[in-house]
Parts: sequence; C-alpha cells; structure tokens
Amino acid sequence: MSDTMFAQAIRCALEDAMAQDESIVLLGQDIAAGFPFGATRELAEVFGAERVRDTPISEAATMGCGIGAAMMGLRTVVEVDFAGFLLLGLDQLVNNAAKLRYMSGGQLRVPLVVRVGQGPFGAFAAQHSQAQHAWLASVPGLALAAPSDAQDAYTLLRWALRQSDPVVFAEDMRLYRTKGPLVREEGGQRGDGTPRARVLRPGRDATVLCFGFGAMLALSAAQVLATEGVELEIVDLRLLSPLDEQTIGESSRHTGRVLCLGEDPLLGGITATLAATVDRVAHGALVGRLGARHWPTPFGSSELLVYPSANSLAAAVRQLIAWPDVQQAPVANGDFQIANTP
Amino acid sequence: MARLRDEGVKTAAEMYARMALIRNFEQAAYRAYERNELEGTIHASIGQEAVAVGVAAALEEGDKMLSHHRGHGHALAKGVNPRRLMAELFGRADGVCGGKGGSMHVADVRCGFLGSLAVVGSSIPLAVGVALAARRAGEDAVCVVFFGDGGVNQGVLYEALNLAGIWKLGVVFVCENNAYAITTPAKKVTAGEGVLERAQAFGCGALRVDGQDVEEVAGATRTLVAEARAGQPALLECLTYRFLGHSRSDPPHGHYRTREELERWQGRDPLVVLAHNAGLDAEECVRLDAEARAQVHEAIEFARASPPPTPEELAKDVWGDE
Repeated sequence: MSDTMFAQAIRCALEDAMAQDESIVLLGQDIAAGFPFGATRELAEVFGAERVRDTPISEAATMGCGIGAAMMGLRTVVEVDFAGFLLLGLDQLVNNAAKLRYMSGGQLRVPLVVRVGQGPFGAFAAQHSQAQHAWLASVPGLALAAPSDAQDAYTLLRWALRQSDPVVFAEDMRLYRTKGPLVREEGGQRGDGTPRARVLRPGRDATVLCFGFGAMLALSAAQVLATEGVELEIVDLRLLSPLDEQTIGESSRHTGRVLCLGEDPLLGGITATLAATVDRVAHGALVGRLGARHWPTPFGSSELLVYPSANSLAAAVRQLIAWPDVQQAPVANGDFQIANTP
Repeated sequence: MARLRDEGVKTAAEMYARMALIRNFEQAAYRAYERNELEGTIHASIGQEAVAVGVAAALEEGDKMLSHHRGHGHALAKGVNPRRLMAELFGRADGVCGGKGGSMHVADVRCGFLGSLAVVGSSIPLAVGVALAARRAGEDAVCVVFFGDGGVNQGVLYEALNLAGIWKLGVVFVCENNAYAITTPAKKVTAGEGVLERAQAFGCGALRVDGQDVEEVAGATRTLVAEARAGQPALLECLTYRFLGHSRSDPPHGHYRTREELERWQGRDPLVVLAHNAGLDAEECVRLDAEARAQVHEAIEFARASPPPTPEELAKDVWGDE
C-alpha cells in the first residue's frame, strides 16, 4: 500500500466520518475547492454544498455559527487555514464554545471541531506562521489535539468527531505534505477512552516530550544521537489538553532526563507546562526546554532561525546528557537556545 | 402557585401579567442585591418589559431565543420558571444552570431559551447556527437574538446578517435600543441613520417600533417571524429605555441622563401603555400585579432555601465527563 499525505489523511477522516454521521457539517473558506492544502478536496461533490459550506471571510461569525449549530444537534467542523486568522474567531471559541456547557450547567453541549494550521509554512512571515499551543491548551473547556503523522491525523480526527465537547485540532502546516502509512480503521464508539500519548521510540538516556512536527524532528535527532551512543526515548503527546501525565511520568522516571519540545516561545509557552508537569510527576528528573525564539516569525527562509530543528534538538539533548547527575551535583534545570543557522 | 409549564402569552391580559412578572422579578432581585444576598452584578430590564414580552408573544413553541447580559426579562418572557431563574441569580444549586451561570449566563434549553451571553454581540452569530441546525432538521423554527444599541457597532453583527442573508436562514435580529451603552449615547457612537438602515443594506426585512408598546412589538415581530420562517432573515429595532442604571454602579439619572428624560420615558411605562391601549380595567391590573408579586415572593423564598452547588458539582461539565 502506498503512503498517504497528512492532508489527504485528514480528508479521509472527514469523508469516513461524514459518511457515517449525517450530522457532520463543514464550514470554512474555500473548503469546497479544498484550498489551500487539499484537506477538504471534493468533499462537496460527495456530500453536497449543504454539508460542505463555503463561508465568507468572516471568522467570528463562522465560528459562532458552528457553535450555534453544534449546540442544536449538528456536529460542525470549522476550518481556519492559518493560525493568525484564528484570532478573529477566538472570542467565539473561548467565550462561547469552551464555556457554554459549563455556564448552562450541562444543558448545552458543543460538539465542534476547529481545524487550524499551526507553525511556520511556506515563508509566509509573521501573521500566517505562528504557534498558539499554550494559549489554546490553557482554556478550560477545550481539548487540544496535535497529530504528528498521517495515521495519527486520521485517528485523532475520527476521535475528535466522536466527542460531545469542543476539540481544537492543531495541524502543523509543515506536515501537510509529509507521507506515511494509513489504515482507515472503523471509528470507535462514543465513550472511547481519551487518546493516550505514545512512545514513538524507546530509549534509555533521555526523553523528548513532543507533538506534531516536533515528533518528526525528534525521530530525526534520535537517529543522529544513536550514532553517538545516545538512545533517545520519544514520547508523542498527541493531545496537549488533556495531558497524559501517566505516560509522561513513566518515561521521565525511566530516563531521568527530559527535554520538553515546543513550537511556541519559552515565555508562557507549552514547554513551561510540560516541564512543570515532569517536575510534579517525576520529581528529581532533570528537565530542559526547547522552544521558539521570542520573535515574530520573519519573512522568508529566515523563519528557520526561529523554530526548533533536528540539529538544535540534538544539541539540546547533548547538553542535557552532559549535565551531572542530580545525586552528584544538583543543577538548575534549564532552557536551551536555538542554535539554528539559516 | 408558580406555573410549572409555560403556556405562552397571547392575550393582552397575559402580556400584562408577564410584564408584571418581569417588573416584580427585577425589583425583587435588585433589592436582594442591595441586601448583599446576590453576588456579582445585576442588569435590570425595568422599563424594557414590552420588548421581551412582545417578541416572545409572536413566537411558537419550538422557536428559539438567545439573549445578552440584560436577559432576565427575555428568559421570563420565553417561559423560564421564575423560581429557578431567581435561584440562578442567587448562585444556588436549584438554579436553571445549577448556579454556575449566574445573572448574565442564564439558559433553559427546554424552554428554547438557549442562553444569555455577556460579551456584547457575541450571541448574534450563534443564532445563525441555530437556524442552520433547524434547517438541516427540516424544521421551520426561527431563532430570535437580542442585542442592544451597544451591540450595533460590533462587527460580528454584520458578519452574521450577511451569513444569514446568503444562506437564507430563519433568524430574527432584535435590537433593543435603550439609547445608551452604559453611559455612552447611541447617537454619539453610531454613524449613519441606524441599525435598521444598515440591516436593509443586507436585504433584511426590517422594522422599527415603539418598544414601550407591547402590542406593536408583537405585531411587528409576527410579520418578521413569518418572513424568517420563509427563509428571509429579519431585523426589528425596538426603541426603549431602561428605568434604572446600567447596573448598580450608576444612578438612574443625573450622571449621563437627565431627570427630565427619565421621567419622560417613565411616562411611557409599558404596563401603563398596554393597560390603556387594551382597555384593561384597573381592578384587573391590580390583581395581575398582586399575582406577579406573590410569584416573585415565592421565587425569592425558593432561591434562599436552595443550597449552593457543591465543589463536586462545580467541577462537572468542563470537558468530556459524562
């Protein structure tokens, strides 16, 4: 079987879920044409314009419409192509989608999935390219999924489309054209357990906690490090809210050295939460963080300076490994600088 | 005895009774707030009862309603039980939302009252989605969404008017124009003629009515609801006035409104206007007022007796738990 592109896996998940569940309706800009990444291509031909609804460029009303429809029994998928555009819908997402169930004492449920691009892509500069994981993970009432390959995109999206509460589906745009094997397995039933983090690669010397594109970086860094005798354990978190603290704890206690990898800046970024979690569930483990520089994303290939790469990840892991053992000489846990060059 | 099931309001006497209920409810809630029995803040709709009741009178069972921070009157007009509404204002477990929503976030889905949202204008696009879901279900139910003159300058209103227009959805946008957004006069911050003319530019059927006259509000709403059922979104602008301040922090007059202006509007009290226009005799009005007062008294007693939600209840309904 030939491999499937990440964007196509998303399309497969939407198609399979929509075939099973008549209540699913898609809302977004240019989705009938499948622009720009092909994740909804030809779904309008299969399911009709009533279920695949092209919207005006009105992110707030589109998000609100998706919420209102979801409250009343539809299951809506709102597509926001680029992270920067999500902010226009954020009032609706944060104030309404996330809180309506709680504020109504459980009378209302909002089975909304928001598919949103994250990370840098195509040298599109500061507004299209950004990472918002910590913001989104910090909102009570939202779940945040961040798949790392084609199969996981399919599986997590099918899961998201079975939930009764809102899920933000963060798609790292650098993954859309990557390929991997895909099995279009039957969707499970409602009440399936929350997806657990997965150990993508077992190792003994250090753990990388990662998600999305970071998992690809970690696999690449692990290959290099293996040639140096360092066995990296890779934990792909898959969900950033809720967090699988059990798997984080098991791997952190196993290796004793943990690198938290994120795409947003270190100040207030998701890596801060991951590091604090490690400290709580595996106290005594050495913890380091690697995230984006505290810059807006510059135009062009200079964006490579801002986000973690396999090289900067490998360099950070080497430093983490070089730290003395806690028992011998306790050191402050630390943050690593990105050493990328364009 | 509080009504357990709402039968709706159609006749003049029923409309009077419901407006009297809202009036008494708001007064009692306000007094409870002044006694520190209520936490948070409170936005009373005294003076605006005809808008809530007139609009609700034009709706059928199955029609939906969304509201804003000044939503107690809308909720009562749509049939929310006053005892459970008062308990919600008290933050008690027997409140319609279990005490977790409070005054500004009331919802009672069984009544078709889908929620009050406190970010100005933010409930507006939800109505488009509610109408879309009704369409997908093959129903002709409409969704009414209230907003004030303050909401008129939120961009999402125009996004929603556009979306409802292109998709031909059954939304009735109701602007409750009470002339002030807290202290800011609507005229000072609204370019052009007003929301009615703006809505017409989106192809909406739009009407502007005297919001102190419940029969006029109900009549205009019936016209617009019929259009909305046929797939033509519509907008109603009701000219009205709140007789109290925005919340407890500002006085009814003296700060940004004159006493003369307030008194002029108080002379157009919606209960008095209806009694006069419909020829309700004074004796009947006194009787209906007394019934409303008794109902509200009972609501206050019910709310006081209800316990606060437990920490376990407060931890529920965040995400994913069934």
